[in-house]
Amino acid sequence: MTEQFVPPTADTIRRLREEYERPLTPEEYRAQSAIPLSAEEIEETLELVRWFRARYPTGAERSAYVREAIARWSRRPVG
Amino acid sequence: MRGTRFDEEAFFRAIGASGARALVIGRRAMVFLGLPVLTADYDFWLHIDDIDAFNRAVEPFDLHPSRTAEEARRRGRYVLANDEHVDVLVARSVPTVDGVTVSMEDVWARRQQVRYADDVQVAIPTIDDLILTKRFAARAKDLQDIRFLESLRDET
Repeated sequence: MTEQFVPPTADTIRRLREEYERPLTPEEYRAQSAIPLSAEEIEETLELVRWFRARYPTGAERSAYVREAIARWSRRPVG
Repeated sequence: MRGTRFDEEAFFRAIGASGARALVIGRRAMVFLGLPVLTADYDFWLHIDDIDAFNRAVEPFDLHPSRTAEEARRRGRYVLANDEHVDVLVARSVPTVDGVTVSMEDVWARRQQVRYADDVQVAIPTIDDLILTKRFAARAKDLQDIRFLESLRDET
């Protein structure tokens, strides 16, 4: 049985956004940036890039995809 | 909801034709490189002497500067906005969170051109320089972007 998706509240979204956009201290930055990339992480990123470039060969097409994605997300309900 | 009448191709063509030394930075530059990340804004790093040329180029798109050119030069950044939101950095140089000073003129000299459309090119920094710009504010989101860019750099 699957659980019904419950959208996050506006307050949860606000708090997550604040944390995501908070400037890190130099110490936090150094600690985070010291975590090495794994081969798996690189390959996952490159796989996504290969798909995106093949599907959307030009800058115009890539930017249009992102604009449409943003428009779709902005229409999603917020609890 | 964002406006849908914005002619992005004409926007980039006008900037290219203006002669302004304007680099697309931020996530839009990552998108041009082939990384499918989301962004609603346009971020530019503009040469401090080219503010007037840039503003004239985007005026037909109803994009109006938040500050005079003189104020923008003093503060190092300004915004152009209507339905779209364009952040413009105009500092000659910016320090990263870990103390590296990044000069606009150096980044401009090393720039790369990406094909936007058949007759439109867009100037963006090299991947290494884009990573440096992500270290200006060094937010959690920038760290994730840096990891994407480092993965992409390993491709080349």
